[in-house]
Amino acid sequence: MGQGVHVTDLPGVGKRYDIDLEREDERVSVVIRSSGVRDLYVFTSHSADPTAVLELTEEQARKVGAVLSATFFEA
Amino acid sequence: MPEADLLGLGAAVLIAGLLARLARRYGLPSVPCYMLVGIALGPGTPGPVLIGHPAELAVIAALGLVLLLFHLGVEFPVDEVLGGGRRLVVAASCYIGLNMTAGLLFGFALGWGASSALVVAGALGISSSAIVTKLLIELHRLTNAETPVILGIIVLEDLFLAFYLALLSPVLSAGDTTGEIVRDIALSFGMLAALLLVARFGARAVGRLLDTREDEVLAVVTIGLVVLVAGTAQEAGVSDAIGALLTGLVVARTRLRERVERLVTPLRDVFAAVFFVAFGLSIDTGHLGAVVVPVALAVAVTVVANLSAGIITARLFGFNQRGAANIGLTVLGRGEFSLILATLALSAGLDARIGPFVALYVLVLAVLSPLLAAHSRHLARVMPDWLLRRDWTYVREETISTSCTHLDQVRVTETDAEECPECVASGSDWVALRLCTSCGFVGCCDDSPHRHASEHAARTRHPIIQSAQPGEDWKWCFVDETLVRAPLGTKR
Repeated sequence: MGQGVHVTDLPGVGKRYDIDLEREDERVSVVIRSSGVRDLYVFTSHSADPTAVLELTEEQARKVGAVLSATFFEA
Repeated sequence: MPEADLLGLGAAVLIAGLLARLARRYGLPSVPCYMLVGIALGPGTPGPVLIGHPAELAVIAALGLVLLLFHLGVEFPVDEVLGGGRRLVVAASCYIGLNMTAGLLFGFALGWGASSALVVAGALGISSSAIVTKLLIELHRLTNAETPVILGIIVLEDLFLAFYLALLSPVLSAGDTTGEIVRDIALSFGMLAALLLVARFGARAVGRLLDTREDEVLAVVTIGLVVLVAGTAQEAGVSDAIGALLTGLVVARTRLRERVERLVTPLRDVFAAVFFVAFGLSIDTGHLGAVVVPVALAVAVTVVANLSAGIITARLFGFNQRGAANIGLTVLGRGEFSLILATLALSAGLDARIGPFVALYVLVLAVLSPLLAAHSRHLARVMPDWLLRRDWTYVREETISTSCTHLDQVRVTETDAEECPECVASGSDWVALRLCTSCGFVGCCDDSPHRHASEHAARTRHPIIQSAQPGEDWKWCFVDETLVRAPLGTKR
């Protein structure tokens, strides 16, 4: 349950990270495939069907991650 | 040295690739496309013939088969599957058992002989890992509760394939007497055991033999080793496929695994495509008419067997109707393994109808499986509750993203408690409070020094706790180790 991130193995695909945003019906899941591709699943309703799914390459994921964690900026 | 027919090969592979590209745009699998091009442009079909002598492709096709199985071995997630738990093994056994039994009965009913029945059983019984995995990604189902189970099942199916090949190839290699067949099977399993031992104890040595800093040399040495082992296996009367698969398992246990996987994947893709084209070339369309009815029946049998196994799996894991339908309809995909088994049968000189039969069967399921899986909610809507658990009411069509099978044990969901009684008694502090939903016990969380809630759960085996902090609304199941989000098995 560490820090509200729950990890599940997806044999043959990679790992799934469920991130608890501590909100009633909003949450985010990330699947990191062993090929390096990341799938970003966004849920904004009570349904377990994702509202949006983005397939990101390693490079794209790094860009998004860097901006989200505020370690990357351009003047 | 005779001149190679580069023109025909290039044209066939290019057309196969372009057709696959078109099919992928509509979410259809690529493997049947390659095969289709082989059928359409081969000598067995009226019209233009690109490759007149399929035998010329034999070496490249064999390389495709070897690389396909080697790659399967390399990426085999040994630890994840062995850590998957007993329920997964039971579910996969149900899956394999039901599908293989149905396939075997169907194979004998066809009346093409016992050896053919064994091939048909494998072709009908073992699903395509590649098709299933791609389907899950494309249908955006990677976060569904049933997805880890589906993936676990197909991986265990791959493992089963290794043993099935070890059994099948001696039977097919036309030993005349029972004694010869028994000797070949013993040899086959002996080789299996030997390579598994190498995988267990000799991986480090193999890794040292292959290891080099240069990708180029690593690729050449690895491919050489795989083909050598596959060839040795073939000479020994065991199939080349199983030699390749086991070499993959050995390499998977070295630290070269990721590099080898990355280097081999594009090679596999190209040579496997040639393998599927070559299989298509061997199909005579004149025979297709005779297998239409058997194929229709085989598809029906497979759908029923998969849905039954899907329901059993859903019962085991506590999924709802949508989960059951998703499992059954996704694992339906058939592809590379069915074609590999058909190739084995054809090279062993079994009934020639097996080729067209498996080709058409794979083609039908290739279109049917993505279509059915994408619309699984319609099936879920009409699936009665008693198929799963009698005393539960299900939200049938809803996708479930967490799997907890203990919600029927939730009895208490509210408390007035504002302190951890055990901490008060011992005079210590706590961080947050948790409520046991089975008995109403209140204890402190895992960030607190004494972790009374976890201790209570371990002692009483009460599965689910709920946060007792104001404004927090989550539950945690200790048994399934999962956050419980949406109610499963109860009406909202």
